[in-house]
Amino acid sequence: MRVQLSTVSLACFLAVGTNLAAQDDGLDFDALFEDDFEAEEELPSINDPFEKLNRIVFNFNDSFYEHIGRPFAKGYSKVMPDPVEKGLTNVFDNAKFPSRFAGNVLQGRLGDAGKETGQFLVNTTIGLGGFFRVADEFESLNTTDEDVGQALGTWGVGHGFYIVLPLIGPSSFRDFAADFADDAVDPIPTPNSEISDSSTRGMIRAIDMTNRTPFLMDLYDSMKRSAIDPYVSVRDAYTQRRARQVAD
Amino acid sequence: MRLTKPSTIVAIFLAILTAGYSAIAKLSPQEQLQASISEVIEILHSGSDIPTDEKRALVLEQLQTRFSFDIIIRRTLGRNWNRLDESQQDRITILITDLLIKTYTAELASGEKPQVNFLKTEDLDSNKIEIHTSVTYKNALVSVNYRLANIKSRGWQVYDVLVEGTSIVSNYRGQIDEHFQTKSAEELLDVIASKIENYDSE
Repeated sequence: MRVQLSTVSLACFLAVGTNLAAQDDGLDFDALFEDDFEAEEELPSINDPFEKLNRIVFNFNDSFYEHIGRPFAKGYSKVMPDPVEKGLTNVFDNAKFPSRFAGNVLQGRLGDAGKETGQFLVNTTIGLGGFFRVADEFESLNTTDEDVGQALGTWGVGHGFYIVLPLIGPSSFRDFAADFADDAVDPIPTPNSEISDSSTRGMIRAIDMTNRTPFLMDLYDSMKRSAIDPYVSVRDAYTQRRARQVAD
Repeated sequence: MRLTKPSTIVAIFLAILTAGYSAIAKLSPQEQLQASISEVIEILHSGSDIPTDEKRALVLEQLQTRFSFDIIIRRTLGRNWNRLDESQQDRITILITDLLIKTYTAELASGEKPQVNFLKTEDLDSNKIEIHTSVTYKNALVSVNYRLANIKSRGWQVYDVLVEGTSIVSNYRGQIDEHFQTKSAEELLDVIASKIENYDSE
């Protein structure tokens, strides 16, 4: 085993536990672990009755990302200037306003729904179609992202069970079903589309996905390399993230 | 000209040191963390003339002032901590710290320098806080929150990090729990060591 950081110096660092502001009225070292066991009971979890099948799809996705997604992401990043890549991400985020608006309304968060509307108007007008996130400069317009799946969670609807979707990745029965509701209010897909031509819609979706691929690939690589079991890591990250979004 | 006595020089030196210490101690936990994170980003983007290994060592040294890795790692093991003997506990602490540092440096050193925005500090209870930040990098905005506890004789120390709402400690714990359902402590150490080797082979 080859460990790059000197084991001795690392051990010294760990033993020393450098501190600048020692507090005598703080917590006992052991108290942190007692608390930890209590918290263990409350961790969000998800049923995974189809784990075997999910792992097969997960491995398929992994292979797809590795052989197609990553080379593509590298090429795209090389040719696309960073500001354009960022601007395009902003445009697509801005276009998902109806879904966030619906998520807020369904949770009775009318104030946040209003802020979302304000953000959308500011970014679309002053931000040139959402290319620049001008609304971020206005603290009064800041919100958290909402969607219909979160609204269902707030109403007490559980995940049902965990599913790994081909190419798309982690989801749950609840969130997968709610995606259809999100799509219904999204300006791009049918049935309530403002863009009626299906090939144009398909192209817009493809550009959105293409533009996000480099960042997603980096994030995925980083997770995979540091995880003991990448499948469990992704499943847990999905569950925790959704639980926190519902709680917020 | 009258020469200053050595004892006076020592006294002045100690006074300066004490003043520096007090100044740092007076900083809020958020300001202390902010200073450390800024320093880490500076190290990671300090140019290619410093070897990666050296950067990692400097990053660890800097993070060590604010992050209690021994606590973070013992928490990731949770109840499984007692399945390891003392030697395995020491090894896993070193290995996971090494893996975290390598992942962290690889992620943040690539691309443009990340912009960290410290948003707010939330009280979790009398001795625990959560510092909310957003990080802009690789054309994306990522939420990163640090949970700190005020620990006797250590001060405010990071004991968990949440990336986009996902706790690193809980995430590892889930994986380790699942690992121990079918495998041993030695196998766990081997898996982590092989992950580190992947970074080292680059």
